[in-house]
Parts: sequence; structure tokens; C-alpha cells
Amino acid sequence: MDTFSYLGQGFGVALSPYNLFTALCGTLIGTIVGLLPGLGPINGVALLIPIAFALGLPPETALILLAAVYLGCEYGGRISSILLNIPGEASAVMTTLDGYPLARQGKAGVALSISAWSSFVGGLMATCGVVIFAPLLAKWAVAFGPAEYFVLMVFAIVCLAGMAGNKPMKTAIACCIGLLLSCVGIDSNSGVYRFTFGSLGLADGIQFVVLVLGLFSVSEILVLLERTHHGHKALDASGRMLFNIKEGLSVLGTNLRSGVVGFFLGILPGAGATLASAVAYMSEKRLAIKDNKFGNGDLRGLAAPETANSASACGSLVPMLTLGVPGSGTTAVMLGALTLYNITPGPLLFRDQPDIVWGLIASLFVANIMLIVINVPMIKIFTKILAVPYWALVPAIAIITSIGVYAVHATAFDLFLMIGIGVAGYILRKMDFPLSAILLGFILGGLMEQNLRRALSLSNGDLSILWGSSITLGVWALVALMIALPIWRMWRGRRKAAAQSVG
Amino acid sequence: MQDRIFAGVSLLLCVALTLTAWGYHAPFSYEPVGPRAFPLLLLLLIALGAIYLIVKPSRTGSEAQEPALDRHMIRKIVLCIVALLIYASLFELAGFIVSSAVFAIAMARLYEGTWVASLSSGVLLAVGLYLLFDKVLDVPLPLGLLSALEI
Repeated sequence: MDTFSYLGQGFGVALSPYNLFTALCGTLIGTIVGLLPGLGPINGVALLIPIAFALGLPPETALILLAAVYLGCEYGGRISSILLNIPGEASAVMTTLDGYPLARQGKAGVALSISAWSSFVGGLMATCGVVIFAPLLAKWAVAFGPAEYFVLMVFAIVCLAGMAGNKPMKTAIACCIGLLLSCVGIDSNSGVYRFTFGSLGLADGIQFVVLVLGLFSVSEILVLLERTHHGHKALDASGRMLFNIKEGLSVLGTNLRSGVVGFFLGILPGAGATLASAVAYMSEKRLAIKDNKFGNGDLRGLAAPETANSASACGSLVPMLTLGVPGSGTTAVMLGALTLYNITPGPLLFRDQPDIVWGLIASLFVANIMLIVINVPMIKIFTKILAVPYWALVPAIAIITSIGVYAVHATAFDLFLMIGIGVAGYILRKMDFPLSAILLGFILGGLMEQNLRRALSLSNGDLSILWGSSITLGVWALVALMIALPIWRMWRGRRKAAAQSVG
Repeated sequence: MQDRIFAGVSLLLCVALTLTAWGYHAPFSYEPVGPRAFPLLLLLLIALGAIYLIVKPSRTGSEAQEPALDRHMIRKIVLCIVALLIYASLFELAGFIVSSAVFAIAMARLYEGTWVASLSSGVLLAVGLYLLFDKVLDVPLPLGLLSALEI
């Protein structure tokens, strides 16, 4: 079995003391960042990129650090959801539904450990899924040409818009804005300066660290400003800290089902953790026939979104590693980090740099185990961090963000650009545009244009190459389905409303 | 209404950017797609989206996730942006420690910290982060006014 020997090699990389220590630091930093209000995995990963780069970490160690931070953030977000009823990000909303009631019943410790366990199971299942599916997909994807890639990216974007729920149009516009932003700078094919308006700072394009930190950190600082009035008080996590065997067994079925759901939704480009946790919660709620306490502190209601959440976080690494097409905002950031190291994710990565891929996959296992080990005894310390006041926290975030941006190019121009992007991002956020769609568009933009132009160069300008092969036709069919879905949903919703007003 | 204003502005921006992008032309090239096709396609898509928003804006208030702003809040947000801009312009001139200390104190005041807390946390943050990043993590930061102190 090739896979297993590679996996063994990967564990060799991940278990080297240096990388083990990196993973430990990453999980700790990640948990703390995820805990803090307003900082999610995207900020956590983005802030660490310049630092990892400045530290001169070798690529596999940097990647392990980022993956550990990613998983840690997902873990940390849970603590603020359960104790404060404030979801740190969209994917944690479902966790608050049953987590907060449990904490109010005095079962905060049990809730935290159950959710840690659920995340662990979800992460473990999905990592196994990555081990099985990623090499298969990579083998298949070697046959992809530029036309196939282009269509695949169209699918990723349409998927993101179609799954966005109540605002598909705004998501689509946000994606296009991201794609357009990726055009800024010298066009690599012809050397034409595009949208630079004579500025030298824009000549090599918008640095993606600048974009990410502007969109997420600066806009978040402005949003936090609105919330200074409302004081939050964390519930006390006292009493029994660990769940008992009976409680553990009662959620086992939920764990297994939600893990599978989460993994497959994570693979889908654009769907990601938010959708996965919602779907898992809803389906478990429907399945729970006897003593259904969903919404009032049901352990299963807590376990389902948590399992799905971390399963999809791992699952979204599959398209990122094998196709180079990120499925979520965070994996988009990780893809950007890889490109900084001159590593192009894609099917060839598995062949050319197995150390990096399998080291990363093995470190996911390691990070998952570390998280559950450090989380249970350290809950008390983590709850203290939640009490840090904004006036100490926000200046620190702002300054660290600026350092991160400044470290890329050492020019003050990037700082101004970041502020500009941040203010624009804040306005867009107020208008209900999803910012992660802009980021995804930005990351995909360069790849999309390159592949489109390469495909059309191959066919000498004949557009039919874009639907010439069976793979492209299949993906176009999926695109059509994804466009039809929200329209059908809207139509059905309107009919239902009409029927109600008549009846 | 918000949506309509936004869509109108972005429509105007699209037109302006289209005019800019129209001139992008490769002096010589071996590929059929020039540098301007992709941006133009995107601008068209954004413009179509904006027109859709003008025709059918989302209902305001009913499902807006972010709370509305009042005058007091807008003042604070403008102040915060101004603080950020001043920080960015002082970053290299005055150096990291000085500019960060001033900025951190201003921000802490903005987030309703007391004077004592803001002053002490601001100075601590500036010096601490400088030592952490410049000395421990090897991220070079400008010293500016304090460059005489560099060892």
C-alpha cells in the first residue's frame, strides 16, 4: 500500500521534535485567537503567515503551523460560543443553540468536553477521509487541462453563491469584486499595467496578506467599536469537567453521522463549515425522536455541529491540496501562504513534494490529539482570556496586524492600502456582503485568468475548448444545477408565502 | 434604499473602470486573449449584479444582520479611521515604538479605557511588541526617532 508508506513518512515529518513543538505552539495560539471576540481562523492564519515567513520556517513546518492554528481556532471559537453565547464566526452559530443552554444549566464543563470530543472525532474521521480520497482525486486530476481548471473554478464560485442562502446575488457580486482585485498590477502575460493608476506600490498587485488583514482585521476593529457598550459576562465553567461514558455513548451515533456529512460538504468548494454545521444540526434534530430537547441543551445538538464543523475544516483541505482550488476562506489563505513559498498546490504536489503533503496530513492527526489533551485541563485559563477588555485587546490586534502587513514589503504604502481595503470591507459588511467571498475570488482570480488564457491559446481562440471534453461538460452541468437551485428555492418560497396569504 | 445607493455607485465605478481598462492593449502578443478581456468580463458581471440590486434591492431592516448606525457611532468610526491613517503615516517617520504607543493610547481611549489604563497599556504594548517582533521573531521594524538608541 503506497498510501500507508507515505503516511508513515508523513508521521516521520510531523513527529520530529521541531515540528511537534510547532504544532503545539500553533494549537495554543489558534485556540487563543479563536477565543478572542472577532478573531476567527482567517485572521489567525493570515497574521501568522508573515511571521512564519520572517522566522524562516521551512515550508512543511510553516504549513503545519498554519494547519494547527486553523484547527485551534475552530476549537477556540467553541469556548466563546458556549460560555458567552457569542459565536466567533458564522460556523459556530449552531453551537450556541444547545451549548449555551447547557452552560446555563451548570453543565458548562460537560458541554465543553463533549464538544472537544466531538471535534476530535470529526477531525479524525475527516483526516482519514483525506488520506483515502486525496490521492485518488490527485491521480484523477492529473488529466485536467487549463480548460477543465477554468470550469472547475467557475463551479467553485457558483457553488459559493448558490450555497450562500438568502443572498446569492450579493455573494456573486462579492466574488466578482475579488476576481477584479486580482487583476490589479502587471499582467504577467503581456506586461501591461492594469488598474495601477500610476502608483508604483500597486505595480506588483495587491499583496494577499494586505487584502486579508484589511478585509478581516481592520473591518473587525471597526465593528468591535460598535460593541463597546455591551458588556459580556462569561458563564462560570465549574462543576464536573468531563463527560461520563453514558453521555459519550449517547452522542456517538450523532458524531459518526455528522462527521461523514461534514467531510463531504467540506470537500465541495464554497460550501464549508457553516453549511456543514447547519445541515448536521438540522438532520440530527429530525432524527432525534425520543426525548428531543434540541434547542434547550441537548448534548446531541451540541455534538452534531461541532463534529461537522471540524470534519469540514479537514475536508476542505482535499480540493485545496489536490486541485489547488480552495473551498473556504481559510483554505484560500493557506493556499496564498503556499504560493508565497513557491509551492503550487495541485495534483503534482503529491508526486513532487510528498513530504509536505503527508507531513501536513499526519500533523492534522497530531494536532487533533494535542487539542483534546490541552483543552480539557486548560479550560479555566481560557475562560480568563475571555475577560480581557476591548481597550487592551483591540490596540494589540491593530498593531500586530500592522506589523504583519509591514513585514511583507516594508513599505508604509501597504499600510494605507490595508486601511483603505478595511474601510471598504467594513462598508461592504454593513451592506451584508460576505467578505470571505471577496477573498476566495481574489485567490481564484489569478489562476482563473491564467487558465482561461492558456486554454484559449491552446485552441487558438476557439471558445469551444471550454466545453469540449466530458469533464468540462460534467462540471458545466453541475454549474447549471447550482444556479438553478437558489432560483428554485426562491420560487418555492414565494409560492409558499402566496399559499399562506390565500389560506 | 442603501442597496440602491450602493449599486448606483458601483455601477458608476464599473463604467469608469471599463473606460480605464479599454485602453489596455498588449503591444505584441502571441495569445488570442489580451490583457483586457478578463477584467472587462468581470466589470460586466458586476454591473449586471448592480443593476439587479437597483431593480430588486433587499428589504432593509427585516433581515439585516448588522445593527444600524447612529450619529455618535459614526463619529467614533471616523475617529478610529483617522487614528489608523495617522498611525500609518507615522509608522516609518516616527518609528514603530513611538507611533504605536501614541496609536495604542488613542485606540484604548476610543474603546473606553480609563486614562491610566490606556497610558500604561499603550506604552507596554508598543515596547513589548517591538521586543517580541524585532528581537525575538526577527521581523525588522523601523526605529525612526529612537534610532539613536539602536545598539
